[in-house]
Amino acid sequence: MLKISNISKRYLKTVALDKVSFEVSEGSIMGIIGPNGAGKSTLLDIISGFQNPDEGGIYYNDQPVSLFKEKKQLISYMPENLTIYPDYTVAAFIDFIQLATGYEDPELIKTLNLAKLKNRKIRHLSKGYHQRLKLFFALSNRKKIIVLDEPFNGFDPVQLIEILELIKEKNRQGRTFILSIHHLYDAEKICHYYTLIDEGRVVTTGSIETLRHKFGVEKASLEQIFIRALQ
Amino acid sequence: MSRLSILLVKEIRDIFFTKTGLLFLMLVSFITGYSFLTAVELYSEQSLSAVNNPLYARGFEPVPGVFVPTYGGLFVLFSLFLPFVIIPLLSLEKQNGTLAVLIQLPYSFKDILIAKISAAFFFLLMTILLTLPCFILWQLYGGHIPFNELFVLISGYLLYGLFVVSVSFFAAALFESTANASIFSILLIVLSWVIDFGKNMDVSTFLTSLSEWTVTRNLKYFEQGILSFTASMYFVLLCSFFFILAYILLRFDLRIKSKLKRLFATVVLFLLALFISFQSSLNTDMTESHRHLFSPAVTKALQEIPDLEIDVYMKKSDSRFRDYQNKFLNKLLLVLNDIKIRMMTGRELNKNYGLFIYRINGKQGKTYSNSEKEIFPIIFKLAGVSVGQDNGQQVFPGYPLVIKKEQLTIIQSVFYLVIPLTLISIFVFKNFKLIRRDNND
Repeated sequence: MLKISNISKRYLKTVALDKVSFEVSEGSIMGIIGPNGAGKSTLLDIISGFQNPDEGGIYYNDQPVSLFKEKKQLISYMPENLTIYPDYTVAAFIDFIQLATGYEDPELIKTLNLAKLKNRKIRHLSKGYHQRLKLFFALSNRKKIIVLDEPFNGFDPVQLIEILELIKEKNRQGRTFILSIHHLYDAEKICHYYTLIDEGRVVTTGSIETLRHKFGVEKASLEQIFIRALQ
Repeated sequence: MSRLSILLVKEIRDIFFTKTGLLFLMLVSFITGYSFLTAVELYSEQSLSAVNNPLYARGFEPVPGVFVPTYGGLFVLFSLFLPFVIIPLLSLEKQNGTLAVLIQLPYSFKDILIAKISAAFFFLLMTILLTLPCFILWQLYGGHIPFNELFVLISGYLLYGLFVVSVSFFAAALFESTANASIFSILLIVLSWVIDFGKNMDVSTFLTSLSEWTVTRNLKYFEQGILSFTASMYFVLLCSFFFILAYILLRFDLRIKSKLKRLFATVVLFLLALFISFQSSLNTDMTESHRHLFSPAVTKALQEIPDLEIDVYMKKSDSRFRDYQNKFLNKLLLVLNDIKIRMMTGRELNKNYGLFIYRINGKQGKTYSNSEKEIFPIIFKLAGVSVGQDNGQQVFPGYPLVIKKEQLTIIQSVFYLVIPLTLISIFVFKNFKLIRRDNND
C-alpha cells in the first residue's frame, strides 16, 4: 500500500498543497481529480520524487520512501509536459529505452500500434501517437507503481478505448496506477478509487459508491459528485 | 554495450547530428581556413627577406608565426559560438521534460552529466581535427613543424574549449531557458576579456591583479609554447568547479538548503585549491628556439643561486614593469620557481619609485634598470657565482618559408569546399535515409 501522508508544498506565499493525505491500495487504479490549478501535477511530482515536499512523506508498505533513488525503483512517472526528442525516430527512441532498461515488451509496442510508424520522426507524429510513445516509456519497466499525468489527452474515442484497455490489462497484471485525469467521464471508466483535490486540499477520497453515499447522491455520475463536492 | 555507453552514443548523436552542430563545424572550417591562409601569406611575405639572411631567419618560428594566429580564429569561435552548441544538450532536456525520462532509466545525475560532458569533449576533438589539414598542408609546402610546441598549443585550446563547455553546462543547469543560459555563459566567458582590457587600459590596480587569474592570461602560456603546471591546474580546477556546480544545480532531488550548502562548500574548496596551485610556478619552455630561456651558461649559473628575493618599487600596471616581466621575470621564473617577489606599496613605493632590490644570502643590490644586461652582474656578484662560456651550443636556425600565391589556392579548396561539403553530405545522407524510410511507412 502507498500512503501519502500530510504532504504540504508552498511556492513563496502560494500554497500548492496543504496537508494532503490518502492511501492507494496495491493493485488498484487511483484517479486524482480536481479543477485546473488544484495541485494535481504538483502532487504527482512529489509522489514520484521530482519535487520535494515542505512537509509530510510517502510510505510504501509502512516504510518511508524519501530518497529519489528509492522512489525511482518503485515508481514510473509520465509527466504531462513531456515532449519526447522531436528529432528522433520512433524506432530510435524505442531502441534507446529498451537498451537502457534491458526491458523488452513487444506486446506493448503492438498494443500501442507504434511499429508501423517506427521510422517516422517524433516531431511528425500526431498528438495521440506522441501520447502513445509517452505511455510506452512509462510502461517499459517492471516498476510496481505507474503514475500518469493526464494520460488520455489527445486520443480520439477509438484510440481511448484501446488505451483504457491497455491500462486495465497492466493493472490486471498487478501494477498499481495513479492517474491524474481531467475528463471525469474517462476517469469513471477506469478508476477504482478517486481523490478529489481543490486548492491544494483533499476534498474527499474513496470509491464511487463511497462518494455517492457520502454526498447523498445515489446513482449520480462522477461529474455530478464532483460538482456537489466542490459546492 | 554497457548502459553508460548507450547513453554516450545518444549524447554524441545529439550533438553531432544537429543543424547547430553542423553549422558550427562548418564555421570552424571557414574561420580556420581564413586564419591559416592569412597567417601563411604574411609569414611567406616576411620570409622573402629572410631566406638568404641566417641572422634574420632565426626569428621565423612556425608556431607563433602561423599556428597561433590560425588558432586565434578558433578562440573566437569557442568563446562566442560554442555555448550555442553545448547548452541545448542539457537545456532542451530540461525544457522538454526528457531529463525526467533519462533519470528514470538506470542512470544517475552523475551518469547523465558525464555522458554529456564526454560527448561535448568528442565534439571539441572534432573541431581540433578540422584544423589538422593546416599541419598537413604546411608540411606539403615544405614547412617545419615543431611537434612539442604544437602539442602545447593544441592542449591549451582543448583546455580552453573544455572551460567553455563547463561554463555552458553550468549556465544550462542554472537557467530554464536556452536563450538566458547562452547569454549568461557568453557573459562569463567575455568577462575574462573585459578584465584583460581593463588591465591594458590601466583602469584600476584591482583589475590588474585580477588579470593574473583570467582564462586568457593562462591560455597565453600555451600560446607561447610554455607547458605550465599552474596554468594547466588552473584550467582543470576551473572546469571541475563549473561541472560540479552544474551537477549540484541539476539535482532536483536536493532540498534548497542542502543545495546551498554544497554550492558554498564547492566555492570554498575551489578557491582554496586555486590559491594553492598558484603558489607554485612549474613551467617548462617547450619551444625549439628556447625563446623563453636565457642562454645555457646563464641558466646554469642561475641554478646555482640559493634564495633570491626581489623588491619591486613599481606598479604592476606600469609599462616598464610589464616590459621587465615579459623580458626578464617570466624567463627567470622558468629557471628559478621559488623566487620571492614583493610588490611594494604605500609611502615606500612613492619614495623609491622605479627601483629594484635583489637580495641573496642577506646581501642586497639595487638598480633602476629593467634590462638583464644590468641585472645579471648584480645578481651573480651577490651570489658569488660566475657565468661560464656558451660553447658548442646549437644556434636555432629559424624556419622561413616562401610559398607561391598559386599554391595557396589549395587552402581555400580544402577549407572552403572539401570540408564543408563533406560535412553537409554526411548530414544530408543521414537525414535522407530517414526521409526515405518515413515515406515507405
